Amino acid sequence: MMHLAKRVIRQTINDKRSLMMILVAPLLILTLVYLLLGDSDYVPTVGIEKEALPDPLITALEEQDVKLKNLTSDEVKEAKSYLNDHENVDAILSFSQDEKMEITLYEPSTKGANAASEIQEAMTSLNPSAGIEMAYVYGDQDQSTFDSLGYVFLALFSFFLVFIISGMALVRERSGGTLERLLMTPIKRSEVILGYTIGYGVFAIVQAILIVLYSIYVLQLSSAGNIGWILLTMVLLAGTAVLFGATISVFASSELQVVQMIPFTIIPQVFFSGLIPLDLIPYGLGNLSYIMPIYYGAAAIKGVMVYGDGFLEIWPYILGLFIFAFVLFLINTQALKKFRKL
Amino acid sequence: MDIHVSNINKSFDQHPVIKDVTFTIPSGEICCLLGPSGSGKTTLIRLMIGAITAEEGTIHYGDVQIPNLSVLKNVGLMPQNEALYDDLSGEANLYFFGGLYDIGKRDLKERIEEVLAIVDLTEHRKKLVKNFSGGMKKRLSLAAAILHSPKILFLDEPTVGIDPVLRRSIWEQFRMIKNSGTTIIVSTHVMDEVTECDQAALIYNGRLIDYNTVPHLLEKTENGRVEELFLMASTQAKGGEDS
Repeated sequence: MMHLAKRVIRQTINDKRSLMMILVAPLLILTLVYLLLGDSDYVPTVGIEKEALPDPLITALEEQDVKLKNLTSDEVKEAKSYLNDHENVDAILSFSQDEKMEITLYEPSTKGANAASEIQEAMTSLNPSAGIEMAYVYGDQDQSTFDSLGYVFLALFSFFLVFIISGMALVRERSGGTLERLLMTPIKRSEVILGYTIGYGVFAIVQAILIVLYSIYVLQLSSAGNIGWILLTMVLLAGTAVLFGATISVFASSELQVVQMIPFTIIPQVFFSGLIPLDLIPYGLGNLSYIMPIYYGAAAIKGVMVYGDGFLEIWPYILGLFIFAFVLFLINTQALKKFRKL
Repeated sequence: MDIHVSNINKSFDQHPVIKDVTFTIPSGEICCLLGPSGSGKTTLIRLMIGAITAEEGTIHYGDVQIPNLSVLKNVGLMPQNEALYDDLSGEANLYFFGGLYDIGKRDLKERIEEVLAIVDLTEHRKKLVKNFSGGMKKRLSLAAAILHSPKILFLDEPTVGIDPVLRRSIWEQFRMIKNSGTTIIVSTHVMDEVTECDQAALIYNGRLIDYNTVPHLLEKTENGRVEELFLMASTQAKGGEDS
């Protein structure tokens, strides 16, 4: 069994592409996600007709993070066509005939929402009693998307990349005949599967440590709880991914087919991982998440990072992962019977 | 350890592949399974080794019925394709397969030196297998099969795609292994290899057409050429199906 684990490790180290995929790819993608979802310093441009607006409002707007652009009254009247022709203006603010405020936006996008919220803040500063102060039990209002959803990506990477590598390696063993040769030695079937899991488990541990340290110390993702529990969850999730990859490889006869099955095996798990709050998913489809390993990993990591949970709170998820791993282990040892009945 | 195959039947998806095969391979001899592609040679080998089980009939090594996990340490298999790990060096492949047989560290090291010398790969031992030529892979595959000094060695078309010079040297190695007391079962459809064997089993369409020592089989042919055995196999099978 340890021979097999050692061989898996040596083989993966000799295959530079797999090694990069396990160790460098997650850091690269995390950095990208950080840049894409992190705080943006975009300053929206609002078009106004200075003469038509009260002076205090203009002063209040000038104090906000917006660029103001002075427009003629004709341009404001034809706000929609003006926005159409001028992409650099995000919103036009005006008063309608019945003295109501009117904001015209180009399209429902984050840029527009950004402009609208700046205008609202300007209005609030004029009339403090209309302001609303929001408070959260966990996290705060200024959190970027990356801060509040980062945990999902930790779970996704530790599952997906290990799944791909182990699934492909096992397909190669099946089609290359090495698995048959392996099973013509006195090794037990369960030892084969365990050996694999341990071999890739070593990489999973290194990967988990790298990802967690990188996202907490370099990308400044904050964790309310002990990062040891995050590491434990990620390693368990990656172990499940090895077994999941091995199971999928039973249904594939080439590496290409492993990739072809990603729409069935990985993509649904992404949606049910916690990226979308499960209560928002219609028709009770949210319950599907209970059959997806990534959900358990993501939920445990979220518990630790966001709620500051310890083992007492996350153990049901950990148990869920263990059950998954155990069932997949049994399926795999049964599947090896195709090569040797004993 | 004689190998007794008695009344074996095997089918895949209700399509019979091996039909009522019975024969005995005496210990320490080279027995060749001769037949065209698709006649069931590989299936017969997989049955004899215990990878798959037959629907009917039994296989014994001496008194032990197959499949049996503990006899596997006395069995070597050289599969049809190379079945080696491309991302490992030649030596690392051998260390891995050797490790699975619980050979002690020092013994394993000595034995690996020995088999590398036998297959003439000592100078390429550190090279990754993906940089090996086809012939080198075949030789390494043979080295992995004989590493644990098996008493019974199965070779599934060991010389396919091998040039005549290398084929001769591989057969010399087979004779050497035989002389050390190992029973060798080799499948082939290359005619001239038959004369190298002690016994030959003619397989056609999953049936054992004839089984005898090679000189006896050659006597049956008109001009003593090995091709005759092959043609005999196909005509006899047709005759058998008509009657």
